[in-house]
Amino acid sequence: MKNLIYYIIFYIVFCLLQFSFSKYINFFGKFPNFILIFIVYIGLSKGSMFAQLMGFLFGLTWDVFSTDFFGIRTIMFTIIGYFSGKLNKNFDGDKILTQYVVVFLASVVYKLGTNLICYVILSNKDYNFLILDSSLKIFITVLIAPVIFYILNYVKKEI
Amino acid sequence: MYQRQITKENSVFIILILIGFFFVIGKFSTPVNLIKSFIYYISYPNLNAANDIFYCVDNFANNIKSIVCMRQENILYKRKNQELIDKLRNYDAISQKYEELSKLLKLKKINNTVSVFARVLVRESDEWYRWLIIDKGFNDGLYNELPVVMFNKNKDNLCAVGRIIETYKNSAKVILITNSVCMLPVEIKDKNINCLAEGFDSNLLKITYIPAEADVKKGDELIVSGLSSIFHKGMPVGVIKSITNAISRDFKTATAKVFFESNIIYNAVILVPKE
Repeated sequence: MKNLIYYIIFYIVFCLLQFSFSKYINFFGKFPNFILIFIVYIGLSKGSMFAQLMGFLFGLTWDVFSTDFFGIRTIMFTIIGYFSGKLNKNFDGDKILTQYVVVFLASVVYKLGTNLICYVILSNKDYNFLILDSSLKIFITVLIAPVIFYILNYVKKEI
Repeated sequence: MYQRQITKENSVFIILILIGFFFVIGKFSTPVNLIKSFIYYISYPNLNAANDIFYCVDNFANNIKSIVCMRQENILYKRKNQELIDKLRNYDAISQKYEELSKLLKLKKINNTVSVFARVLVRESDEWYRWLIIDKGFNDGLYNELPVVMFNKNKDNLCAVGRIIETYKNSAKVILITNSVCMLPVEIKDKNINCLAEGFDSNLLKITYIPAEADVKKGDELIVSGLSSIFHKGMPVGVIKSITNAISRDFKTATAKVFFESNIIYNAVILVPKE
């Protein structure tokens, strides 16, 4: 019960952070993907089942609040949650290098997967597969990941 | 236990992904935006939210309208497609006929004859190899005993078919060379061997009076000999299919397949001598 409340709070906090604070927390106009970091964190600490459910929930929420194609983020965050959860037994989520690598891979997968769905299923040719234009966003997300991991670990310990 | 957990994880993953793809393929953006705007309007009634709702409803209605229009267009195109397929089928038939007729026109003209082109009206199935009726008669200058030939597609020439035995105003009855009452003097092409082709009421002719020492082989071509009073000399008749080994009275016999049978008979040519 305590854990459930804890994750509901985190869900609300990360939703607010992602959807409401982009105006205030941005680096060169790019805003880090906090939700992606949180899903990777849950995957590395809790495993696939919980991470994919949270990924699905976050993706669905983001899709509802966005004006983009409905369902893309739901798919991508579910995939990221599932695969990052698969790594939790082999990798130590507390190590900064692991956090960098996994968040980086998750960001690349998110970007490529989103574009692939738009290109193949929705036949939207405006999307391209170059991740260079998103590299700054990925870089910022990767850079900020250990900070978020630290805060989440700290809060979890305190509670 | 661990294995069961893995299976459960995978099952949940597949279900969630399928739901995700259902959202993407279903293109639910407009209805979701509509619901979102509506909820927003209920929470904070203002002009922008109302505007958003109307915009979304308009989009949604347009989408429905597009679907209905597309369906109607689809039905229309399917109908047009069917019409075009029918036209194409007709065109193919016409094209084939045109090709046949143009080949007939290109045929080498036979001296001192006028070609009368006729269509086969009747060819009864139980007397298939005996006779047929054509749609030209004495109004077109035809009379009894005229030779009837047909176009041989494989060789691009005219081959012997039969002769007219009854003539009416607008039709004529043709007895075929395959009729058992018919006999035709023939020769083996390029070998100068004279023999006789007898009808067999089938697509085969019985070739008799082949000299015992004659060098006749399977595949030899038969042409009308100079002894024929009906057909012109050299007109193709058929091809030897088999030769019997038994020799009686210094002659041997063979069977030959007629050329005209290789095509479906629709058009006949009657060679009328010039007066």
